Amino acid sequence: MSDLLFFIEVSLAGLGSGALLSLTALAFVLIYKATRVINLAVGETLMMGGYFFFALAAGMSLPVWVAIPLAIAGGGLIGAIVERGIIRRMLGESPISVFMVTVGLGSVLVGLVEFIWGTDPRSLPDFMGSAPIFLGEVYVSRKIAISFVVAAVVIAIFLILFRYWRGGVALRATATDQAAAYSCGINVPGVFSLAWIIGCGTAAGAGMLLGQIGGIAPTMGAFGLSALVVVIVGGLDSVAGALIAGLFIGLVEAWTGTYLGGEYKLVFTFGILILMLMIRPYGLFGTTEIERL
Amino acid sequence: MRIATANETYLADEALLSTRTQWAWMGILALVLIAAPFVLNNYWLYLACLVAINVASATGLNILTGYTGLVSLGQGAFMAVGAYTVAWLEANVGTPFFVNLVAGGALAALVGVFVGIPSLRVKGLYLAIATIGASIILQFFFVNWSSVTGGSRGINVAPATFFGTQLTTYFQLYWLFVPIAALMVLGAANLFRTRVGRAFIAIRDRDISAEVLGIPLLRYKLLSFAISSFYAGVAGGMWAYFFRSVSPESFTIVESIFYLAAVIVGGMGSILGGVIGAAFMTLVPEILRFGVEIASPYVSNAATLLSPIRTVAFGGLIIAFLVLEPQGLAEIVQRIRRFFHLWPFKK
Amino acid sequence: MSGITKRTLLALAASSALAFSAPAFAQDKEDIVIGGSIPLTGVFAFAGVAIEAGIQDYLKILNEQGGIDGRQVRLAYEDTGYQVDQSVAVFNKLTSQNENMHLYYGDSTAFSRTINPELIRRNAMIMAGASFASEINDPENFPYQFIAGPDYSEMFSILLEYIAKEKPGARIVTVNSDSEFGRDPIESTRARAAELGLEIVEEIITPPGAVDVSTEVLKLRRARPDYTLFHGYILAPLPEFMTQAKQLGLETKFMGTFWSMDSSIWADVGEVADGFMGVMPYRYYYDEEDAPMLDRIRQMRPEYQATGYMQGFLTAMLMTEAAKRTLAAGNELTAENLKASLNTIEDFDTGGIIGVPISVPGNTVPVGRIYQYDAADKRMEPVSDWISLQE
Repeated sequence: MSDLLFFIEVSLAGLGSGALLSLTALAFVLIYKATRVINLAVGETLMMGGYFFFALAAGMSLPVWVAIPLAIAGGGLIGAIVERGIIRRMLGESPISVFMVTVGLGSVLVGLVEFIWGTDPRSLPDFMGSAPIFLGEVYVSRKIAISFVVAAVVIAIFLILFRYWRGGVALRATATDQAAAYSCGINVPGVFSLAWIIGCGTAAGAGMLLGQIGGIAPTMGAFGLSALVVVIVGGLDSVAGALIAGLFIGLVEAWTGTYLGGEYKLVFTFGILILMLMIRPYGLFGTTEIERL
Repeated sequence: MRIATANETYLADEALLSTRTQWAWMGILALVLIAAPFVLNNYWLYLACLVAINVASATGLNILTGYTGLVSLGQGAFMAVGAYTVAWLEANVGTPFFVNLVAGGALAALVGVFVGIPSLRVKGLYLAIATIGASIILQFFFVNWSSVTGGSRGINVAPATFFGTQLTTYFQLYWLFVPIAALMVLGAANLFRTRVGRAFIAIRDRDISAEVLGIPLLRYKLLSFAISSFYAGVAGGMWAYFFRSVSPESFTIVESIFYLAAVIVGGMGSILGGVIGAAFMTLVPEILRFGVEIASPYVSNAATLLSPIRTVAFGGLIIAFLVLEPQGLAEIVQRIRRFFHLWPFKK
Repeated sequence: MSGITKRTLLALAASSALAFSAPAFAQDKEDIVIGGSIPLTGVFAFAGVAIEAGIQDYLKILNEQGGIDGRQVRLAYEDTGYQVDQSVAVFNKLTSQNENMHLYYGDSTAFSRTINPELIRRNAMIMAGASFASEINDPENFPYQFIAGPDYSEMFSILLEYIAKEKPGARIVTVNSDSEFGRDPIESTRARAAELGLEIVEEIITPPGAVDVSTEVLKLRRARPDYTLFHGYILAPLPEFMTQAKQLGLETKFMGTFWSMDSSIWADVGEVADGFMGVMPYRYYYDEEDAPMLDRIRQMRPEYQATGYMQGFLTAMLMTEAAKRTLAAGNELTAENLKASLNTIEDFDTGGIIGVPISVPGNTVPVGRIYQYDAADKRMEPVSDWISLQE
């Protein structure tokens, strides 16, 4: 097998897992855009999505196509509860306090999962099939390919919604100027809730895709850390940035993992993170707003 | 009831302990700390040592986060630097433990300055994320620089020796750790009576104003990182003498979150808060253990619920304090004090 | 009685025994205590729960036969959540509360290493545990610890010996997780494979918690190994590895070590798991070959018991045997005497827990056997004889 072919296969695999990163990063971006909160519990919400699906599809033996929307709704419900119950009360507090609240939230979610489902890793009922996909001679893992398509479609839908849908426009308006948006009659608190619901729902969806590939476990929230790198590189408030940076980080991880060894993956991505913070803290596509000193 | 304290000199006004009651409380605390090791059994001595280590590290983080307003999730990694330094010196050079601890602190301070460099460019959340990145990169070095760090197995640490006596029991280590931690807390408290400490507070409250006042931000932010990491490094060194082995898996991001949580729960920007917070967060899991033990006859397989309960309690405490009591435990203590000061007037 | 399980009752019994220690139980001969830092929760809980059951069951059998020299043996343990500081806290708590603790069960390599100086200082107990780290197999530095089975390097040696016999000169790929657990046998395996004339064509390391393994599978495909050896994982990401490899039509055989060899964890994986092989130092619960101890276990526990159970059972057996021999020789129960007695164990009959008589010359019992998973029966079936590294 030629080296070029191998390189292409590795790159495609990287793009596939990068799409999952993009999807998770999207959850960060939606929430940050509306409420200026970096929600570190996105990783744990993703885990909850996987477990909800597990409970519905394996526990209650619902058909997969019922379980998937319900699990996403479950993620949205978490978002709604957290936003109304905690984040709303923290309005006006320093961003760091709110950030730490989401760190605490992550711990609570992990504890709840251990409480209800225990710590053993579990596998999800398969809904993707396993027949391999070949693009010409190039092999692509089916699950990765499906995840890629799903992530691409979801991100495209979001981009369209932001442009044409009232709610999307309201969200963009809120992101630009809360007071102005409010005086134009936009229900800003409603936008806050909406962003959290959609963001956490997206994370839950990503969790199901991830769970299909590697099974679910209380530790799978660590995936959120890689997605955090993606949002910093792409820009915290840029949907397109999440997409492009996600694919980029996916590629970097695949290349370093293949040509240097798996132990180099994290150090490279976080090296990029720090470089990015030094050079362009607001990310590739983010709004320049950092006050510099 | 305390009516008023009239200070005649600035020195008296700045004093750490201004009233007799405070002196009395400090005296009682000192007596308790001295008497404790003769009363406590090995298990509680172990916890006391752990509390001392965590107090030292949390106080350091409090200087950086609580007083200078720079949030760091790298405290665990700085502790690891200190712990590795001590382990390496103990194995390869054999210098006395005191030198090792200071060296551990110094190296951690150096690394801290390096990690602090992004703080010139970014702050707040971005800085917190940069410190996460830095700790992951440090972690990589711990695992892969095997000739120094012993790779994924880590290094075993020989016990500290004090005039030929090996400090191995918790009783002995208590006499090492508690004075060091007390000294470090005292140092931190005094820091904020000096120009440097006040500059930190000025930076926290408004960095632009601080610069206008003639405080060089670059120098003071890095200095704050250095002092905070020095504390972490010394605490890490004590940790190494305590657990007697250091490996990359000893200090993870969870540790860093733990210390930030301790500072938040205790009270950011309060020395007393850092101390109480560290002690509280160290002891909560143990208190929960006793709770589960008491509940075990009534609840089926209570033992297996302990760890999830602890995880939930850890996160729940962070959330509860941030939402309900942002000033932390220190504020509660203050409230109790005020109550007694104003007592019989206000009921 | 509904909500109270046997474990809670035992825990209750243990804790009340602690609460009313010596005077209330004014017996002539005091109990011998096995202490335990056991992970009943956390990532290693599945093993900890089984281990605890195994130790308790062996102690029940032992105590029914009169214990050791007329003294009953009991297990005093607490949950650690698989965290070192908790394990140490439990150790300190239990040693403060129990007088006659001469045996200890620890839960992780890090704990074994951390507590080692304390064990040497106390000279009061010997310890074994859930860690099979090669590092512990060092009687000089770990004088009072042992492993009730082969260490990870020895497990790999057993695998390699099997491979060398089945297919001389085979091409091998090792896949290890980037953790202390995963990296343990890498270097010794390199050397051992060279001795046996096997070729290691690729060494893959995966970051801890890695989910997506498609790039690693591509590496595997390029290396075209006859055997792929996993270590440092329990289950994930092995099933995904095997699924993708099957899709790609790879002919490689997948092998694992002790902690990924429990048949119940493979039961949910389904057809893909068929043919997974690995080294196992003990018999499985359902093994049909003649084994009085297994019969006894099946009588006590009608349902399947995981591999951790056998590990706990055998660990308790060897520990108490060491104590028995020490007392029989009229010696005090110090760590030194206990370990010396443990090392006198030679051609010892485990009642079928291990299929051959065993000896404990140093810190390990370097014996194992290759089993293969049969997805239809949901069982591990032996495919080799017992392989001993002692000759």
